[in-house]
Amino acid sequence: MNATRPQPVLSNAISTASATGRLHFANLRQRSLLTAKLRLVWVVVGFAFFALTAFVRIAQLGLGAQNPAEGAAGDGLAPPRAEITDRNGVPLARAFPAYSLWFDPKALGSKGLPLVKTPEEVARALVQIFPSEDYDDLLARLKAGKGTYLRRRVLPEEANKVFALGEPALEFPREIQRFYPQGTLAAHVLGFVDADGKGKLGMEAYLNARLTDKAHLSEPVALSIDSRAQGAMEDELAHEMLLTHAKGAAGIVLDVDTGEVIALASLPSFDPNRSDLADNDHVKNRATNEVYELGSTFKPFTIASAIEAGVVTDMAVRYPATPLKVDGYTIHDHESYGATLNVPETLIHSSNIVAAEIADKLGGQRLRDTMIALGMNQRANIELPAKGFPIWPRGDWPRLRTMTVGFGHGLAVTPLHLAQGYAALVNGGIWRPATLFKVDPAHASAGRRVFQASTSARIRQLLRLIVVDGTGRSANAPGYRVGGKTGTAEKAGSNGSGYKNKHAVIATFAAAFPMDKPRYVVIAMLDEPQANQSTSGQRTAAWNAAPVVGRVVPRIGPLLGVVPDGRRDVDVSDLTPLVANGEGE
Amino acid sequence: MFMTARRLRSMGWIATLVVCAALVMVLAFRVNALRSQVHQSQARIIALRQETMYLETEFETRANQQQLKAWNDVEFGYVAPTSAQYLDNERQLAAYAKPIEPDAPAPIRVASADDSVVAAAVFPAMVSPMTGKPTGAADDSAPAARPTHEAADAPAARSAGLATLSDRLGTVPHAATGTHKAGKDAKSKLAKAKPVKDKASKDKLAKGGKASGDQASGGKASGDKARHAVATRTAPSHDRSASGARLAGADTHRRAGVGHASGSPLIKLALKDAKTVK
Repeated sequence: MNATRPQPVLSNAISTASATGRLHFANLRQRSLLTAKLRLVWVVVGFAFFALTAFVRIAQLGLGAQNPAEGAAGDGLAPPRAEITDRNGVPLARAFPAYSLWFDPKALGSKGLPLVKTPEEVARALVQIFPSEDYDDLLARLKAGKGTYLRRRVLPEEANKVFALGEPALEFPREIQRFYPQGTLAAHVLGFVDADGKGKLGMEAYLNARLTDKAHLSEPVALSIDSRAQGAMEDELAHEMLLTHAKGAAGIVLDVDTGEVIALASLPSFDPNRSDLADNDHVKNRATNEVYELGSTFKPFTIASAIEAGVVTDMAVRYPATPLKVDGYTIHDHESYGATLNVPETLIHSSNIVAAEIADKLGGQRLRDTMIALGMNQRANIELPAKGFPIWPRGDWPRLRTMTVGFGHGLAVTPLHLAQGYAALVNGGIWRPATLFKVDPAHASAGRRVFQASTSARIRQLLRLIVVDGTGRSANAPGYRVGGKTGTAEKAGSNGSGYKNKHAVIATFAAAFPMDKPRYVVIAMLDEPQANQSTSGQRTAAWNAAPVVGRVVPRIGPLLGVVPDGRRDVDVSDLTPLVANGEGE
Repeated sequence: MFMTARRLRSMGWIATLVVCAALVMVLAFRVNALRSQVHQSQARIIALRQETMYLETEFETRANQQQLKAWNDVEFGYVAPTSAQYLDNERQLAAYAKPIEPDAPAPIRVASADDSVVAAAVFPAMVSPMTGKPTGAADDSAPAARPTHEAADAPAARSAGLATLSDRLGTVPHAATGTHKAGKDAKSKLAKAKPVKDKASKDKLAKGGKASGDQASGGKASGDKARHAVATRTAPSHDRSASGARLAGADTHRRAGVGHASGSPLIKLALKDAKTVK
């Protein structure tokens, strides 16, 4: 038993030992397996990680990669403010990193003097480089010891000169600013951008939201202006202004079929590149903001209205042309052209008396309706913020008012009103709002009919006759078939105090060309032109405003697609026999 | 051994993992390298565009309307062209050709809607240079060789029952098989035929063609009475141009090629032409 006793023990021990060993092995195996599995898991996780990384990267590159055009390059190219171009894509306003002149008093260290030379010397040298700067003002700013702009816009050559002064405190940071490559050209149309980047005046103000809209920064806005026509108009007006010592001038070229403003000039002008100087009298826009009594240029409206109403049916009917007394006032002409005048002669000689008589026959209501249809009772229809409100006689017009409006007095409008009215007169009778945006001819505004096409045709003949035989002869650019009407109106005194100064006149010439199929209306207006040798001692529109049109038309006609043709003209043969030659106002 | 194998295997896995990681890194590096290249290019594009913009702006500024006007006033003095300087068409341009002087040879009419004169002119039958027999009997198989100009004239003439120029050009016999070659052949034979047949008349005509645009050589041909008559009759006609003269020259050659069989009909033709021009 004993012998056998331990057996179980031994066997037990052995079995235990073997069981333990087996267990151990089993454990070991299990552990090894676990380790292996764990490692395998790690490997799989590792692979999965790399696979995922690679996949994510590929996905990121494939899907999320930035389009170069929209990415860094796109951001770098988009200007902070969109460009403005003319109708042919010539940039008129663009963002440009221009130099400015900054005074940094700490450039030489915070201790000691900020300048190498004395502030007086530096200020003097700066005034030599920039003659428009004020010495005292510069000196004060240099002495103040504060970092400040000495000048917002510096040309590279000026920057070189300032650099040559050898003052490290004078720095030229390049800042993106609004730049107008054409200088003063179309300044009143464009306006300018102030130091805070806000558009002021003109299209810069009107388009401020569009020009700063992030989505459209790289798309320029095309205006209807043609910079070449604008240049020619400004140039000729400035020339005439100098010759006649006029206070100011305005000029408009308007497309009669679309209402696009091809040129809009107001002189004297200002340089939008110098926004600090813009806050002066020159920013006044004479073409759209100032209202004037435009005188005899209104007579064609009266005649057209009378033809339309059936008051004038026969061009040969003669009206008395002796001074006319109405309500204590005497309406008289510049000079006497005989006892009677017919309609063509009335326009050719610019007779106030006959125009007043026709207006009287027409009646205040109908003349008023025509003027309202031509938009003369409201602000000019254009995008510019500077739009003058006409001086419009309210209520029913008494007889005298009707008669004075008949020859262009007692109603003051802007030259743009006149241009729109003339466009309606000659284009077949459709009045359209003016616009400064380029218009596709197929999508031009439908407008509203003011005159019948037949009336318009008759007016075209009459306007052409005025240029061939009448007061507009100096506007007769050969081959361009110009037609138009002069107007010289005495300026009313301030606060409606009547016409005191006979020498202060507004001389206007309203024209259209080519008269056989009018394309453009051209208005030239001079504010207080003086009589001198260059105008043969005259101050009427025939001697100053009409020659401007005569010089502008040949310059702009070919650029705008009007080819001169000496063998083509409006047929005025039915009117010519009715006219005896003479001069008028 | 067991452990070693396992370890080896796991080492293998790790190695594979490392290799994969390395590959991913290489990929990442390459991608990044490429990206930075793209960025560099973009930056360069921006810089260049900016530069272009600066230069463009500078150009626009220096050449702005007022500046150009100032230059023009001082340097050039250009003025707007007058209406007389504009031409509507070639015909108006032609009016500027030098007037034809007396004794100049007949100007040759270039273009006219009325081709009855050409159609009515009875041309002598063309003789084949190959066979020596009059052509026109055999084939009509070389339409490609016909110049389009003559093709247009053909119907009117056919209706008149006459052998037109194109008919006769089309019926020049040829040995070549291909149509194109046949056309070439026909032309070259025609070209050869010109000097052979009637050199004298062709020379005169060539001189005439030149002289219509050149006064100096006009005198040379003054011996020919017929031509003299034509010239005086057409002298006042200013409706001739330099380009017209050039075309006339070409036309002369064409007709010379046609009329070489006998010289005189051409003169008549020219006379008839001159009458119709009148």
